[in-house]
Amino acid sequence: MFQIDNPSNSFEWMIFLVKKYSNMFIQGTWLTLYIAVIGTILGFVLGYVIGIIQDVKISEGDGIVKKTLIRLLKTIAAVYVEVFRDTPMIVQAMIIYYGIRQMGVNMSPVFAGIFVTLLNTGAYMAETVRAGIGSIEIGQREGAWAMGMSPMKTMFYVVLPQAFKNIVPEMANTFLTNLKMTSVLNVIAVQELFMAAKTVGGNYYKYFEAYLVIAVIYFVLCFAFNKVFNLIEKKMSGKSDYVLAVEYMDNQ
Amino acid sequence: MGESIISINNLSKSFGDHEVLRKIDIEVKKGEVICIVGSSGSGKSTLLRCINKLERQTSGQIMFNGREIRDVQKEINHYRSKVGMVFQSFNLFNNMTVLENCMLCTRRVLHLSKNEAFDRAITHLKEVGMAPFINARPSQLSGGQKQRVAIARSLCMNPDVLLFDEPTSALDPEMVGEVLNVMKNLATTGLTMIIVTHEMAFARDVSTRTIFMDRGYVAEDAAPSELFTNPKNPRTREFLSRYLAG
Ligand SMILES: Nc1ncnc2c1ncn2[C@@H]1O[C@H](COP(=O)(O)OP(=O)(O)O)[C@@H](O)[C@H]1O
Ligand SMILES: [Mg+2]
Repeated sequence: MFQIDNPSNSFEWMIFLVKKYSNMFIQGTWLTLYIAVIGTILGFVLGYVIGIIQDVKISEGDGIVKKTLIRLLKTIAAVYVEVFRDTPMIVQAMIIYYGIRQMGVNMSPVFAGIFVTLLNTGAYMAETVRAGIGSIEIGQREGAWAMGMSPMKTMFYVVLPQAFKNIVPEMANTFLTNLKMTSVLNVIAVQELFMAAKTVGGNYYKYFEAYLVIAVIYFVLCFAFNKVFNLIEKKMSGKSDYVLAVEYMDNQ
Repeated sequence: MGESIISINNLSKSFGDHEVLRKIDIEVKKGEVICIVGSSGSGKSTLLRCINKLERQTSGQIMFNGREIRDVQKEINHYRSKVGMVFQSFNLFNNMTVLENCMLCTRRVLHLSKNEAFDRAITHLKEVGMAPFINARPSQLSGGQKQRVAIARSLCMNPDVLLFDEPTSALDPEMVGEVLNVMKNLATTGLTMIIVTHEMAFARDVSTRTIFMDRGYVAEDAAPSELFTNPKNPRTREFLSRYLAG
């Protein structure tokens, strides 16, 4: 349909660039999604683990080995969370990528990108999980403990399912942030969307148009995911009535 | 009756330098229904929480069936599965239905099969009149209904002892009766119960023994017929006159 050989305005340039470099934009979109999805999911897992470790209480009755181990884990967790929350992701990307290269390990930029995303997500998620756990009143746990449930079982069956409801919106948020934050990974030569725009724009010296193209792509992705997450959240809020079990009525 | 089930020896508990329990000695025999009364802040809740190991005592011992319960998580879990607790604030699991509330711990602690756990849950929910509500969530129940479910949930563990911390204090007045009735019935089954309460008539009529706590001490420990009609301790007298007058 649009056959533009001599683009004359910005809109025509955008179409021209998209057509000519469709492969690069598609590949960039794919890589952006790939890193965001994998990095976020792994980051969530890490965040939950760290958040739960931070919540563990050391009880006086524990043996010295167990106490020391828990204390060590808690310290590592606290330092990790602090360091990653207090430094920019773009700097983390550089340090991790070049740091590991200097150690003689050959890591692909994509792998490094996922690694940085997951570590960054883990640190933020850990705080969210910790706050989510903390928002559940202590009585919920005491009710389970008082019947002999171990602290870990209580966490998994009683506390986390409730905390999860509070954490879900923040998880959605984190994913959208990550989708956009992958753009900084161009500094370690990951061929994601930002990198695509940079390359394409440079070829014709049409940076404005090239970045406008990826802005549209980022927007559409985030908009769509946001809608999906809203739907999921609505689904999760559940039904508000219940059915009387009439088969047990006459025994009253 | 006669066999000791829980014995509390020289138990003290401080929060910082605030001494809340002072040298408590209580011997609980199988089948006893002990009511603990006393003004607010006298340490009743802290005592029950120490018995259930939700608080760690500063000194002294808690013996269960002649063995001291040490502060080892595994031992504590096992002990708690036999010594249940009913809270003032119910503490039903908000993420579960009534039925799930009653099946969680029998499944995950006692490792009963699904069928066994279900049967037990239904049995005890019937006992408290809450079986028709198995599909309801805690937020959909009244306070009295919640507390009856909480009692059924504890009974599902087949506990040797059941502790109650002011089970009716958070309830609207018209719901107090339904919960007290359930407890009255329980008392006739031979279950050992330790009940912190402000319901003096209930304590007088149902308990086999009443303990008056005052500023962290067991000030008086006697049969209800004694304690309510002929209190030895002047502070008991003062407390009772305040309560019975109001
Ligand atoms: N976790 C705690 N930290 C500090 N002080 C506490 C704590 N729990 C209870 N106390 C104090 O211990 C005293 C006894 O409390 P409690 O056992 O709840 O009394 P009661 O149940 O008889 O009203 C009160 O002065 C209360 O403030
Ligand atoms: Mg109290």
